[in-house]
Amino acid sequence: MMKNDTVIDAHNISKIYNPETIPVFAVNDVHLHLNRGEFTALVGPSGSGKTTLLNLIGGLDRPDTGNILINNIDITKLSANKLITFRLNHIGFVFQSFNLIPVLTARENVEMIMHLQKSQRMDRDTRIKQLFEEVQLSDKIDSRPSQLSGGQQQRVAVARALASKPQFVLADEPTANLDSKSASNLLDIMAKLNTEEHITFLFSTHDQRVIDRARRVITLVDGKIVSDTLPTSTA
Amino acid sequence: MILMMAWRNIWRNKSRSMIIIFSIMLGLFAGLFVVAIYKGMLRSKVRSVIDREVGHLQIHQSKFKEDYLAEYVLPESTALVDITQLPEVKLTTQRSITNGMLSTATGSAGVTILGIVPNEERAISQLAEKIIEGDYFTEKIRNPVMVGRKLARKMKLKIKSKLVLTFTDSTNSIVSAAFRVMAIYESENTPLDERNVYVFRDDLNKLLGIGSSVHEMVVLLNRDEDLDRVTKEIQGMVPSLQVDTWKNLSPETELMVDTTNEYSYIILVIIMLALAFGIINTMLMAILERTRELGMLVALGMNKVRLFFLILWETVFLTMVGCPFGLLFSWLWINYLNRNGVDFSRFGEDMMSSFGFTNVIYPEFPYDNVIVIFLIVVITAILSSLFPALKALKLQPVEALRK
Ligand SMILES: Nc1ncnc2c1ncn2[C@@H]1O[C@H](COP(=O)(O)OP(=O)(O)OP(=O)(O)O)[C@@H](O)[C@H]1O
Ligand SMILES: [Mg+2]
Repeated sequence: MMKNDTVIDAHNISKIYNPETIPVFAVNDVHLHLNRGEFTALVGPSGSGKTTLLNLIGGLDRPDTGNILINNIDITKLSANKLITFRLNHIGFVFQSFNLIPVLTARENVEMIMHLQKSQRMDRDTRIKQLFEEVQLSDKIDSRPSQLSGGQQQRVAVARALASKPQFVLADEPTANLDSKSASNLLDIMAKLNTEEHITFLFSTHDQRVIDRARRVITLVDGKIVSDTLPTSTA
Repeated sequence: MILMMAWRNIWRNKSRSMIIIFSIMLGLFAGLFVVAIYKGMLRSKVRSVIDREVGHLQIHQSKFKEDYLAEYVLPESTALVDITQLPEVKLTTQRSITNGMLSTATGSAGVTILGIVPNEERAISQLAEKIIEGDYFTEKIRNPVMVGRKLARKMKLKIKSKLVLTFTDSTNSIVSAAFRVMAIYESENTPLDERNVYVFRDDLNKLLGIGSSVHEMVVLLNRDEDLDRVTKEIQGMVPSLQVDTWKNLSPETELMVDTTNEYSYIILVIIMLALAFGIINTMLMAILERTRELGMLVALGMNKVRLFFLILWETVFLTMVGCPFGLLFSWLWINYLNRNGVDFSRFGEDMMSSFGFTNVIYPEFPYDNVIVIFLIVVITAILSSLFPALKALKLQPVEALRK
């Protein structure tokens, strides 16, 4: 796989809430460039705009200014329907909590993404098995989310995020609701996927121990990037 | 996969799903029940019109019905005898009829006097069965007359009361004669009870001066289905006479038969509106409860069409569960009531009989309407889930996930 080719290229993006009354510059003229294979943490105090920025990059929300190029496609120009398909095929998501559909088993939660992508049924089974091995949950593959611990649920969410073979995975505070052991276990798995499978991760966090695991740390304050430590090493 | 999710979703909140399943069952039952009652009412009405009032068809002189003149008797004809021999014909009787006045010491009332042959009449219109007081025609008293309960009450008549009947004979002169009440009857048709009085045909014929002639021939068939064919045949046998079926003779019954469907569908619409309201409400709640989850599905890349069908399928499944149960339940209950009858008399003594219905109705499961009613329920259920499903499409993933 090529190194240093661009996955995310965002210019001048801003998101302003309540522009008529008291404007909140949740994201304020941000430039962000992410290469394939990065393992990057987005940090900053509460209300600094981490979630908003991740939502913009993930195509869940539209910026008020600027462009976001993912794989050289400007997602700010996509129609609502195209954007949904784009998210499905190019971006993996891990949310903070309640990630999984409660009526589906762990396997079905992952399979659903492949189903939405209309992938071949034949390929699914091997891939699902492989994904569950990677997140070390092969034994829980047929459990319902309610039967899994928070950490296990987040690992299923990671497996699901990878199911579509996305360009990168966005995770908004994936460890926020986990105890430190589960959190470090989740990080281990993410880091391993990053080094071994070259999966690109961009995650936000408050947790210093999680920040320590990142190879690049972007710090956001009041919607602006105030520091950006570039990758220290390559995978 | 969407189907599986939808199917499992309906079991998440069992009580809510039960509410929808139950509403669908109830909607289906109510729809079928209304039509069943209507059918039962009509069946008994038609039966009582045919078997207890007018028979299948009647033959008159063509001018008789205009003014009931005594001279308009049926001609002596072998054709009339031939009619009684037709294989489709079960029974016949011949009546002489005139309009006149009934008077007592206290007052008078207009009546139709029917001269009958008691034995034939007993079989053709169950007249003996309708007696509530007194005895069916006996030779014991001279000039016996049978009057309806309403008329008896109005004219203060009791068994053995004397009364005078006045009418014009075949030579247009007025005759009157004294009669004695021998029986009081009550039928399903109260307006007729107030009007019709029965006497021996021989007694009436003597007074009218028409010998053994009659004005009316009543024909009862073995099977209702033969009516149109036999009517044509009989009309061919007596081309100069007027042949009427029960449909012409009791046009209000015929009208009722024709408008049943319209009436029951109006009631059906009202029931369906209630059903739709219930489903819209419950499904909206179901969606509101799952905002976050649905928002996440959109975030992950589920497109609007799939989301729409996810919601729609839930209602479809609920309908698919509710309908068979509803059908079974309706079928069992309506058939039970069909055997035991629904007694409307507790809602008022005269409520049904004043419209010419029996008090006890035997609802009939409407086999020929069941598909239509079933479809109406299914379509109502699915249309009502469209609104919540469309509502779900408006979901913005960012806002939904924030919840
Ligand atoms: N829908 C909204 N309407 C108005 N203001 C909003 C909305 N969403 C976010 N904001 C504001 O935008 C700013 C950035 O919010 P955001 O959720 O991105 O911060 P965050 O860094 O993710 O915070 P946290 O660490 O608490 O999750 C905050 O000031 C917030 O109040
Ligand atoms: Mg946040």
